[in-house]
Amino acid sequence: MDETTVKIIDILKKHMKEPRDDITTETALADLKIESIDLAMIVFELEDTFGIEIPYNANDTEEAAAFKSVGSVVDRVKQVIAASAQKAAAKA
Amino acid sequence: MTDKLTARRRVVVTGMGAVTPVGLDVEEFWASLKAGRCGIGKIENFPLEDLYIHIAGEIKGFNPEKHVKSRKTQYGDRYSWFAGRAADEAWTQARLPVPFDKPYRAASIIGSGAGGFSTTENAYRDLFIHHKKATNPLTLLRIIGSSASAHVGIEYGIKGPTFATCSACSTATHAIGIGLDYIRNGLVDVAVTGASEAVLTYGSMRVWQAMRVLSPDGLRPFSKTRNGTALAEGAGVLVLEELEHARARGAPIFAEVLGYGMSSDSKDMVNPDVEGPRSAMQFALDDAGLAPTAIDYLNAHGTATTLNDVNETNAIKMVFGEHARKLAISSTKSMTGHLLGACGAVEAIACIKAMQDGFLPPTINLTEPDPKCDLDYVPNVGRAQKIRYTMSNSFAFGGLNAVLVFGPPPA
Repeated sequence: MDETTVKIIDILKKHMKEPRDDITTETALADLKIESIDLAMIVFELEDTFGIEIPYNANDTEEAAAFKSVGSVVDRVKQVIAASAQKAAAKA
Repeated sequence: MTDKLTARRRVVVTGMGAVTPVGLDVEEFWASLKAGRCGIGKIENFPLEDLYIHIAGEIKGFNPEKHVKSRKTQYGDRYSWFAGRAADEAWTQARLPVPFDKPYRAASIIGSGAGGFSTTENAYRDLFIHHKKATNPLTLLRIIGSSASAHVGIEYGIKGPTFATCSACSTATHAIGIGLDYIRNGLVDVAVTGASEAVLTYGSMRVWQAMRVLSPDGLRPFSKTRNGTALAEGAGVLVLEELEHARARGAPIFAEVLGYGMSSDSKDMVNPDVEGPRSAMQFALDDAGLAPTAIDYLNAHGTATTLNDVNETNAIKMVFGEHARKLAISSTKSMTGHLLGACGAVEAIACIKAMQDGFLPPTINLTEPDPKCDLDYVPNVGRAQKIRYTMSNSFAFGGLNAVLVFGPPPA
């Protein structure tokens, strides 16, 4: 697991009532018993940790799909990081 | 139930005022709802900066010097301006004297979810970013969430109970319910009630964005494609009056306030429970002494979030049984946007206008109904129908529920 993935799993664990040590990129978020407000908190902490902004909408089924598994969260975060780095480069 | 009805003082509506994104008075507001006109659009009143939600129901071109009569209220926060204007419309319509001739027999209960939010934001921006040495001396008076109730009370010489309610999106409905109780109980004869909200600022939009409940492209209640709510600003005010008091002075009577129900889910801050809304609707019917079948039109809370619309539909089915299929329901938020604390007052006005006019306001943007929302939401186009009794639902974050039932002017 790379550094980003480890950080993300740490954030997820922080917001679980009963943190587990067997979380991999395959784990479904539904199995982690994360409720909607927890998810908003998780998204906030991801944004804060990586200095990015994720336009996540709890009401949008397509967007919510990006938050189905730990792996899909990692992919989404990496994608946003890359996009904002590109933006910053364009500005510079 | 009959004994209860004949024994207690009856309460009627003798004045109404509205400031909304679809009209700065009741007439324009109602004409917009009938026509299915939407007041949600691209934000123009402040720079969007890095926001990714760009839409809201803004009130454009509001000028306190032009639109607010009271000089004192003009010095208040934007939320007090809206309250002042709506109260002025309602009080004028009720043809009550200024100042009120029996000052301790009137109440001013004007709530707000957030009070002078924009004043707070601007003051803190000046302090923390621009490092100004002093804030405007009126800052505190503008911020406090009771300032609108005080402004309205001062304007009309009201010396009875004067304060604000605060229960997020149920604020206005709670204010109207308390006014109803005070008149029934004989504490006052007149109550100016309602709420005002003005939180469309950059900081507030960021706070709401972080809640992940705002739609980027429109408010579509009960639709399969709904993806969140849209914030709006404005105010609604009702003048409530004891029936005989109103009759004795030949006041116009628009409707009777028949029932009020409130409850709390006592469960979760954001996820609504079906039992809370169900019980609040049931309590309001019980208070009105009406069977569910008596209600012709229900103005839904209908926020267009995934959770609310299904939960509210399920609660309606539990209360109304088979009648749920015959009941006309609409979410006028599809046109006004979500006025937050003030929504219950403008939606109460929509109920009363619907009864007066015999017209059901539509739920616009409902071209693809959600199979889980399978009732008659008066999709897209309003329609004429005789309407005798109406219900208005308000459900708030924290699980705070309040419901009102209105009937025709007593014969």
